[in-house]
Amino acid sequence: MTRRALLTAACVATALSVVSSSAGAQDKPVFGLVMSFSGWFQPIDADTIAGAKLAVDDINAAGGVLGQPIETVEFDNKSEPQLGADGAIDVIDKGAKAILFPSDFDFGAPGAFVAQQKNVVAFSAASDPKFGVQGIGPLAYSVSNAGQAQGALMAEWAYNRKGWKKAYVLLDNTISYTKSLCGSFAERWKEIAGADGLLGQDTFLNGDASIAAQVTRITGLAQKPDLVFLCSYAPGGPSAIRQMRAAGIEAAVLTGESMDGDYWIGSVPGLSNFYVVNYGSKYGDDPDPDVNAFFERFEKKYGKKADVSYGLRGYSAVQAWARAANKAGSLDGDKVAAVLNTFDKEPLVLGPTTWTADRHIEATRPMAIIGVQNGKFAAEGRFSVEKFPQF
Amino acid sequence: MIGQAVQVLVDAVSVGGLYALTALGIGLIFGVMRLINFAHAQLIMIAGYAVLLFFAQSAVLAVLGAVAGAVLLALVVERMAFRPLRGADPATLLIASFAVSFLIEKMMIMLVGSRPKGVDFLPMLAGQVEIAGVRLQLLQLVTILVSVVLLVATTWFLKSTRLGLEMRAAAENFRMAEVLGIRANRVIASAFAISGLLAAAVACLFVAQTGLVQPRMGLQLVIIAFVGTVIGGLGSLPGAAFGGFLVGVATILLEALLPPELRVFREAFLFVGVAVVLIFRPQGLIPARGLAGRI
Repeated sequence: MTRRALLTAACVATALSVVSSSAGAQDKPVFGLVMSFSGWFQPIDADTIAGAKLAVDDINAAGGVLGQPIETVEFDNKSEPQLGADGAIDVIDKGAKAILFPSDFDFGAPGAFVAQQKNVVAFSAASDPKFGVQGIGPLAYSVSNAGQAQGALMAEWAYNRKGWKKAYVLLDNTISYTKSLCGSFAERWKEIAGADGLLGQDTFLNGDASIAAQVTRITGLAQKPDLVFLCSYAPGGPSAIRQMRAAGIEAAVLTGESMDGDYWIGSVPGLSNFYVVNYGSKYGDDPDPDVNAFFERFEKKYGKKADVSYGLRGYSAVQAWARAANKAGSLDGDKVAAVLNTFDKEPLVLGPTTWTADRHIEATRPMAIIGVQNGKFAAEGRFSVEKFPQF
Repeated sequence: MIGQAVQVLVDAVSVGGLYALTALGIGLIFGVMRLINFAHAQLIMIAGYAVLLFFAQSAVLAVLGAVAGAVLLALVVERMAFRPLRGADPATLLIASFAVSFLIEKMMIMLVGSRPKGVDFLPMLAGQVEIAGVRLQLLQLVTILVSVVLLVATTWFLKSTRLGLEMRAAAENFRMAEVLGIRANRVIASAFAISGLLAAAVACLFVAQTGLVQPRMGLQLVIIAFVGTVIGGLGSLPGAAFGGFLVGVATILLEALLPPELRVFREAFLFVGVAVVLIFRPQGLIPARGLAGRI
């Protein structure tokens, strides 16, 4: 009996030591950044990463997660989407309990699927609802507003606030975000302005050497459009604006968050009558003081102004995870996700955020609209979408 | 309606001109070396960055900088990458040109980052002029003019100068030309320099039109222009220019004339056209003399 008791005790002790040592390694709040630190996608991810790191600093200064400071581990996917899966395995091996992936579904998905299997929460600023329950699984969250709601928001704003009646849609048919953006704009515009309010729709490709034919089609319209809704990104987007303006098209140009930032304004220096929807004004005039404070601290930490508003998204991902983990009292993916699903107008720096068990992306959260006149960017205000196409 | 038709025509001819210049640059190198130089895209790119560097000082300086940058890079690439491979299998040359192209592009990304940079080059051309009641874009007219001038100048150079004669001789039968005393290094280096010059012209016009430079610029132009050189007749210089022009015109006309639901398949129609040309004229529309047995 004594021998058996001893053996049992030894077994229990060994098991306990294994559990406690692994628990010790596992219980640290480690946040993984599997992002494009190099390559062509790097400029798109750079400010998102910078925002996430700013959040880590702030949260650690306020006590960290579960009483411990957040550590970050990084993996560079070199702008190759499939490397994201290797990256997820790598940072999970290093103890990551949540991972931020690149701001695009195609770039983020390979790693997010791995995270899902390993019970690790995956965040991204992809504007595609597939980065969530319906696509990747119950542990994937997008901090963005769905592209399908952004187009509708711009349609409502243009019609209700600006009083514009005639629109033309010009779609850069290369990525899924631009397609859902233009699709939702056109659908909502036809609802509020009537089918006659949409003068036409056309497509081009981001790499096209010239969009002369598309521009000529607009100049040849029987009625002049009040606005052109352009769904594109740099370099094709700014180049399209330059080509339209050179052809004498002075209509307002409206677009989505993929043309956020002012780094491309050198292409059309005196640009006027341009409006972009994004997550906050980095020009110091956002209606939300938290956003202005964020960009001030961003500049202080990095010694330069943010060149896009994407930093807000990286910041919010870490913010959301830290709050949920603290509330759950655990770092386990499923337990953190259970709390994230209860977010009801949770005040993140991006704005009041609601997630449910079925929807891990915002649609109605107010977004900023930034206007450009004579090459100067200024906030028009924050607006919410009333109705948007189902996704 | 007439105005609209004229505008479409001007669109087509100006884009066609841009592709013709690009195709001629590629065709020149293929003519003398049997090398399909995909690094031509990087000549355009480097010229674009030279414009970015100098456009704030003066437009003339920017153009000179673009020419100097592209010609210099063309000569360096010829000396370091392609001269050691002279006479190698065309497949080896093709792979080498891909390697050079990737190397320069990635080095540029490391040096300047991959974010596009705005360049308001030649803003005075970003307006319209009214000709016979039709409003036309100034930049497009300048593009057409520059293309015509450069095509005529290149033709004159090839037909009327000694170096041009040597180049044509080398394009027709390189070994025979060498046997007859033509210095290969000089001819090939000159061809690279001219292709650099053409790339710089394309870059200036392209940057003025798009207002941006980025490390991947020029790639799309070169791929489509290469298709132009193939249907024009590989190895034939008039063929390259004509083929490039034709492909450029075709992209614009397809875009302008296809019904909306078919417009997204523009590339498919373009390449069906290319396939049809190659079925009936496998040597190209203006085949190169003396090349039939060699490719």
